[in-house]
Amino acid sequence: MIRNLMGVLLATLASALVLSGPVAATPAKESPWLPEAAAYRLTLFLGNLEPLPWSDVRTAWAEPYRGSEFSVGALAWLDRESGVDPAPLLEAMAREDRQAVFTQATRLIAFRIEEELDRALAAEAPATAQQAVRTARELYRAFEDGVAAADPETARSIGLAWLELNSNTGSAGVLGAGVTRADRETMEAARAVISGYIAENYLLESFATRQKLTSVPESMALGGLVVEVPPSLPPGSDIFDQDPLPRLVLNFEERGIDETDLPLVAYGDMLFDSAQIFGSPARDLGLACSTCHNRSDINQRFFIPGASHQPGAIDVDGAFFNPIFNDRRDDPIDIPSLRGLRFTGPYGRDGRFASLRDFTRNVIVGEFGGDEPTPFMLDALIAYMLEFDFLPNSMLTPDGRLTDAAPDAARRGEEIFNRPFAGFGDRSCASCHTRDANFLDRQAHDIGSVMPAYEGARAGAMDTPTLLGTVYTAPYFHDGSLPTLAAVVDWFDETKSLGLTGAERADLTAYLETVGAADEPFEVFDAENTAFRLAFSELTTFASTLDTLLPQRNAKHILLLTDTVAADLAADASTMSNLAARPEVYALAERLADVGAAVRGEDWEAAEASWTAFKSEADIIQERAF
Amino acid sequence: MAINLNRRTMMALTGAGALSLATPLVAQNTALRLAFIPQENPDKLLGDIEAITGWLAEQIGVPVEGFVTIDHAAAVEALRNGDADISFMGALPFVLAEAEIGAVPLLSEVYRGAPNYTGRIFVRRDSGIKSLADLRGRDIAFADPISESGYLYPLAEFVEAGLVEGPAAAEEFFGRVFFAGGYQQTMQAMAAGLVDAAGASQYADLLLTPEQQSNVTWIAESAPIPSHVVIARPELDGDLQARFVDKMLLLNEPDNRHRLRYLYGPDGYVRADSGAYDGVRDMARRYGLLE
Repeated sequence: MIRNLMGVLLATLASALVLSGPVAATPAKESPWLPEAAAYRLTLFLGNLEPLPWSDVRTAWAEPYRGSEFSVGALAWLDRESGVDPAPLLEAMAREDRQAVFTQATRLIAFRIEEELDRALAAEAPATAQQAVRTARELYRAFEDGVAAADPETARSIGLAWLELNSNTGSAGVLGAGVTRADRETMEAARAVISGYIAENYLLESFATRQKLTSVPESMALGGLVVEVPPSLPPGSDIFDQDPLPRLVLNFEERGIDETDLPLVAYGDMLFDSAQIFGSPARDLGLACSTCHNRSDINQRFFIPGASHQPGAIDVDGAFFNPIFNDRRDDPIDIPSLRGLRFTGPYGRDGRFASLRDFTRNVIVGEFGGDEPTPFMLDALIAYMLEFDFLPNSMLTPDGRLTDAAPDAARRGEEIFNRPFAGFGDRSCASCHTRDANFLDRQAHDIGSVMPAYEGARAGAMDTPTLLGTVYTAPYFHDGSLPTLAAVVDWFDETKSLGLTGAERADLTAYLETVGAADEPFEVFDAENTAFRLAFSELTTFASTLDTLLPQRNAKHILLLTDTVAADLAADASTMSNLAARPEVYALAERLADVGAAVRGEDWEAAEASWTAFKSEADIIQERAF
Repeated sequence: MAINLNRRTMMALTGAGALSLATPLVAQNTALRLAFIPQENPDKLLGDIEAITGWLAEQIGVPVEGFVTIDHAAAVEALRNGDADISFMGALPFVLAEAEIGAVPLLSEVYRGAPNYTGRIFVRRDSGIKSLADLRGRDIAFADPISESGYLYPLAEFVEAGLVEGPAAAEEFFGRVFFAGGYQQTMQAMAAGLVDAAGASQYADLLLTPEQQSNVTWIAESAPIPSHVVIARPELDGDLQARFVDKMLLLNEPDNRHRLRYLYGPDGYVRADSGAYDGVRDMARRYGLLE
């Protein structure tokens, strides 16, 4: 699914609050969090990881969160903007006392809200009061999802109180015209609603011990009520598509075969884009296979604090996604490309799965906590992923020789690539990165790139990666520790004592950059050929599998499709350039949802009718779908 | 691609900033001084100002300085007393500044191909509200009482429809009228069900989550509202004024478009047409803001 445009559309102000809900497949970029509210949310998130990354918690308060528009971290911000003393929080962090950190961080945010409300009430100028109300409101956002989940009635009362408060700050008018005075009595009454709730639930000396740290109000937590707060990612997270978007090369498509004539592949394509095959939280956050493997390649921007050590990396067997699968090892890996997947087995960075089917099942059930996939789902996913081809590269022949288009430096580098080195045990680079086997050998080798986990460990062998397409998949190595191909050459030269001169290193790098290049690595969009048009085409293709599934009365797989595609179509409409056509896309999405509703009601005639209507309406609006 | 809701729009709607971040330079004939209206994150604005003034100085060939004013009134005051030569400004404060100090419009911001936009009345699709008349006795949120697209123009639709007698009589038609503080707060209040309708920019629904966007629609749209404008003090040297305009128009070129994000993120600029602001002048008179 095409999600990268959201980052552009919702650039700075963007939509706030939740990234959750039953089928929030298209993420919305959050509006900027205030530094201390961001640090609080990060503390809640990191505090639920096991083992708890205390260093990250300290960093959350000391440094600006990733992507922050604020140049300073929460502590410096507080020092500048607030009289609230962070000492009790710092002391709790020093002791690495989880409950105390929760208590003090919660109190700190509550104190800050009160501080800003005091400022609003004391302000002489409307602009000053409005700024304080806005800041207080932004701080309250740190608690808001917990209140909404636990106590919807009160959440509504407080929401109205914020509206009332802001509405009565008065107006400075514009250039002296339209001035209105503040209504302090009403402001006080509205403030009392907010402050009363804060005092009872967040500004407390102590809190009940929480198994899971959340923003659920204390009165609800004490009452023993089990409150499910919709999963959310902490500030600094980035699950948007890579930009520019990698070009997808599908074997059947290059041959001119229409995907709608390959229903199994089309269904697998849908599953690859579906968050519904995973369990919570991945499902609720809209994470799908394609979130990390954009268009069969990688997502260099993907980042979740506490689970990623750098952009483009993720620890899929940590505490966040599927606690029972938590291996308690902080070992995020660089997301690998899936291009040419049928030639790159075994699978996993260390080649732990010989079978793509086993690997895929492990991703769904183990890593992301999904239900056991049906054989049909696995068949479809495999059928789709086996269509992933490498990017065409006119500087290489199909068997990996350089063509006339390759630069001279690459030719010199090729000689070095094939040269045996003593440091390689008289082997060459080409011994593992076999030229006519897509530059890999389907074996795992310990090249010394993995730090031994314990004395005597023999656990450092990693699957030889292909060199094809690598110009666009930086950084390199299983942990993404080397930023460039030149750095990779330097690493081998230094650790294997290859004795290369500077010129030889440059030539070898040129060779790698030639082998790893592509003629058209990225999707190209323009005014009408937009990312949404691509998404629209994909989604309607996914839906075409209903032509196969409806006659089969295959309810389970129909519902998986309609739940995924109807929600994605509606959500992706928010990325449209042609805003005028959005209502039509929403209506089309409803048609597909109607198919699902009819199938749930076992009304197959109605399902067929809605599907027929969908196809005809999709054809009509296709031209405007950009 | 961009949305019409930009950082300045938001700030203008939320009542301007609270602190002055720099001191205007003493007037110099050989330098240009730009006044900026504050936004939600002064830290970022300061960085943006540095980036754009540096580029403009290279292009125009004179030193260019930028500073943040406390609000529109302070920017106009700076133009009046010569502390600023040029200011970025909303349409409404511009027509007031024009009346007060003879401010001259130089450039208009362009969004989605046009130097104007509209205000709309948004409702939840499941609310059953189909027309403005359906909002009788219901609650509505606007952005701010001096916002063009977030109050003045949307409310005028109710006046045009004969439902509200005038700006002062809005409370008689609606249940409650709230000012939420900005487009985003306004739209969230509606989407969350705190109020029944929201009056905001035509692009304000893009500030909701994708799921929320699919659940809202609009039932009325205002006349076009001229977009934000770059204005000059009337005494500014004509040659310097022309050079500034010419160089600002270079921002429309592909190689320079990335710099637009330092200027509140429009899609580009066009030369301002003073006549395009007649509607705003009329609106200002109707609301008693302009004689």
